[in-house]
Amino acid sequence: MDELLGEFLTETQESLERLDVELVRFESEPNDPELLNNIFRLVHTVKGTCGFLGLDRLAKLTHAAESLMSRYRDGMTVSADGVSAILASLDRMNEILQGLERDQQEPAGSDDDLIVRLLALAEAAAPQGAREAVRDLEDQETLADMAMVRAGDEAIRGRRVSEPEEAEARLPDDLQAAGLEYLVAEEMVSEPIASEEAQGTDAPGREAAQSIRVKVDTLEHLMTTVSELVLARNQLLDIDRRKQDTEWKAPLHRLSGITNELQRGIMKARMLPIDRAWQKLPRMLRDLSVELGKSIELTTSGGETELDRQVLEFIRDPMTHLIRNAADHGIGTPARRRALGKSETGHIDLKAYAEGDHIVIEIGDDGRGLDTDRIKAKCIEKELLSETEIGQLGESEIHQFIFQPGFSTAAEVTDISGRGVGLDVVRANIEVIGGTVDLKSSSGQGTVFRLRIPLTLAIAAALIVETDGTRFAVPQHNVSEVVRAKRETDCRIEMINDAPQLRLRGRLLPVYDLGGLLHLPEDEAVPRGRLLGEMATVIVMEAGVRRYGLLVETVLRPEEIVVKPKASVLQDLTMFSGNTILGDGSVIMIIDPAALAALAGVSEIRADFSQREAETQEAREPEEAPVPLLLFKAGGSVRKAVPLALVARLEEIPGKEIEVCNEGDVIRYRDGLMPLLFMDGVTRQAGDALQPILVFDDEGRHVGLAIDEIIDVVEAPLSLEIRSVTPGLIGSLLVDGEVTELIDISYYIGEGLTQRLAAREAEAAKTARLLLVDDSQFFRNMLAPLLTAHGYSVTLAESAHEALEMKEEGTRFDLIISDLEMPGLDGFAFAQEAKKDPRWSETPLIALSSYSSPELIARSRAAGFIEYVGKFDRQKLMAALKAVLPQWGAAA
Amino acid sequence: MKSCLVVDDSPVIRKVARRILEDLKFSISEAEDGKEALEQCRVSMPDAVLLDWNMPVMDGISFLVALRKEQGGDRPIVIFCTTENDIDHITRAITAGANEYIMKPFDRDIIESKFHEVGLL
Repeated sequence: MDELLGEFLTETQESLERLDVELVRFESEPNDPELLNNIFRLVHTVKGTCGFLGLDRLAKLTHAAESLMSRYRDGMTVSADGVSAILASLDRMNEILQGLERDQQEPAGSDDDLIVRLLALAEAAAPQGAREAVRDLEDQETLADMAMVRAGDEAIRGRRVSEPEEAEARLPDDLQAAGLEYLVAEEMVSEPIASEEAQGTDAPGREAAQSIRVKVDTLEHLMTTVSELVLARNQLLDIDRRKQDTEWKAPLHRLSGITNELQRGIMKARMLPIDRAWQKLPRMLRDLSVELGKSIELTTSGGETELDRQVLEFIRDPMTHLIRNAADHGIGTPARRRALGKSETGHIDLKAYAEGDHIVIEIGDDGRGLDTDRIKAKCIEKELLSETEIGQLGESEIHQFIFQPGFSTAAEVTDISGRGVGLDVVRANIEVIGGTVDLKSSSGQGTVFRLRIPLTLAIAAALIVETDGTRFAVPQHNVSEVVRAKRETDCRIEMINDAPQLRLRGRLLPVYDLGGLLHLPEDEAVPRGRLLGEMATVIVMEAGVRRYGLLVETVLRPEEIVVKPKASVLQDLTMFSGNTILGDGSVIMIIDPAALAALAGVSEIRADFSQREAETQEAREPEEAPVPLLLFKAGGSVRKAVPLALVARLEEIPGKEIEVCNEGDVIRYRDGLMPLLFMDGVTRQAGDALQPILVFDDEGRHVGLAIDEIIDVVEAPLSLEIRSVTPGLIGSLLVDGEVTELIDISYYIGEGLTQRLAAREAEAAKTARLLLVDDSQFFRNMLAPLLTAHGYSVTLAESAHEALEMKEEGTRFDLIISDLEMPGLDGFAFAQEAKKDPRWSETPLIALSSYSSPELIARSRAAGFIEYVGKFDRQKLMAALKAVLPQWGAAA
Repeated sequence: MKSCLVVDDSPVIRKVARRILEDLKFSISEAEDGKEALEQCRVSMPDAVLLDWNMPVMDGISFLVALRKEQGGDRPIVIFCTTENDIDHITRAITAGANEYIMKPFDRDIIESKFHEVGLL
């Protein structure tokens, strides 16, 4: 009988589910005879079937329920108590069925409580009798089930004994006593309805007749087999890809098509309409509204939307939870609603529709909406956010906090939803299957939760990526884009507080190295650090409200993967959701983006900054459009801020790399030197201590601004509270309620440089004065800027005569560089003349010549030159200058 | 081989009946309500009908009344199954054209003896 029992269980469970729905409808429409008939028949069928399987407990319970139902068919007024009692017996039946499923036999236990209640209600006109029945039971606690039923029956008789005339007058009562009460009623009602139905009116809830029942196991097995087939097909395709023009190309592609078709077919067979998961809801809401003293109406649409049965199982609980939540927290009491000018009856609207490969389920209520202030208070109380942090969050961001663990804003914890199972669990459960939850709430208007669920879990689109020599599958529904971050571009990786951040379209996103997160042994060919180098491949991931970048070595290709569950030994590895087999036969792990984010510690709020929705921005005053600001400390106690968009890069360099030249501080930066300005009061780092630097880019010119510490990147409206008169500051504004000085970058990259140039001129008085004597304009032009650049002040002379005139004018130089080969007075003669005059006799002379010979060098020395340098040998010239003028050497 | 149409809205009960009757060398067809049963009868009249009382769409009595009005509808031997055993019911069933009735739950012995009584075995 095992097979029969199995079928009985499925059949009866379905019937009970349907009963749940119909009874709730019945309560509000007690005069609908068709509905009553349906309910009656369902109970009756269950009862009838029980008999075949020898299920006594169920038979008796259904019998008692049927008795009460039959009274309703007789025309007795339907009471909420009665419906509650029948619903309670349905619950009991479910319990028994569960036991039956578990142990293949009815669990031990007694249903006398319910049976007595049902029978007493059936005889509601005789409260006394019911009381007697209870007393009877109290007297004989150990009575067997059958005796109990009899006790109920006797209770009815008891009443009749006390009121004999009435009993005589109502013959059917005798039938009732014999347990046959429903017969008469049935005949009265069933015939007209039956004939009506026979004319083609379909009873609601009927399924198409052309279907057979297939065991879930069979389907699962088929699914697995098809999955294997898909894998084998993929392997073939993989081989095929490497071969040219084989004769089996065509049949292989046909096989491929058929396999897809088969796969789709099996998937379809696994689909169930979503209202299978909704059937229990009307009943649940009915109980809730009774319990909470609210009036709630449930409307559903899109119940026929199909999704995988496995997915259906996963979302059943989260969905139920959200509905409870809506009923408990969302919808107010009738009095409250009336006070707000709403209808007393609250509405919960349940919608399902397909959206590509996903199903969207919306659960909306017309209640009070989320209480933003209370969530804020709770955030502070739970130390999730500081008051200042809260100030910078928009309403919808605040709302996201209700998904935090242990977050309940209900003033009093009710039995309904404050049971420790929070929305965090809802979100976690939805995310497990690759779905997302978001919500929209407006105060006084209600709240809508939106679940986005993949149609199936068995096959998923994934990106195959490789990092450190290992391949992984990244679920594509979590991938919002893949970017190549490149230095010097708008899409690049920056370090903020030692953490890499992806700058993408003006926003920053935390970036994590997949290999590093998983502690993969580093691939020697591609050391991990290099991933952050010139070019980096970053997958922008979206997992719920978390958004982050995942750094990988290569993205190989997108592929439809067959998801296989993790082996039990791998259960603890939360960052993987399963594994799959690739076309080449290798097994790779599937990344679980949400778990990975948790592992990396992606802050959800930080992530939110990057993905603030456009709509929240629009909602603000236009002049208060928030812009990302970089907050930092630079001398003084007041925080400084600069619009992030103006910052080209953030660098941290060891203090020892800051060099001082006569123009100020510089650092080596991209094959060159970058001037570095210290803001007032900024501590200079020395040795290996890192000096944070903001790099600004002004039309290709880089200027570094040394600061003390980078605090954060926040979004805040640029509304100045006080305009500043201090140079370098635009003014002060409030960020998170704290005074922050907005610095004037143009001052630093513009004014700052001008100042430095002015300073350089002032310095010039102290620099070495050189006289360059050369008849060649070419050489003068070439050497003069070079010498200037090295910090010398250069005076030019075209000829020895011109130079000697300067001598006569009394001009003094620290050093004279002279060409040897010049028309008129040559270099040798010039040197001799210079040495004769006491004003110039001490001035060192350096000879420049196009020729080089020991004889020439000797002649130059004799003439008074202390150094001899080839005209094209710049390095030697510089070295000679340094040697001759050591006191100026630092300038170079 | 004689044919028997089992009409019941419960697949479990149809299965039970099918097992017993196949054992008794009947060829079985099934219908889950009276309307479906009537459609099947119009295509091919069975030798016997094992008929449930309470069914959605069209119940047993309505089916029986309609069947007997069909051409050749008087031929099948109809055995009513009911959980009800009062005279009223039985009378109604017989009046509507049932040949015999049996109580639910039934087992092989009950079916066998009833089918004997009506000459199907």
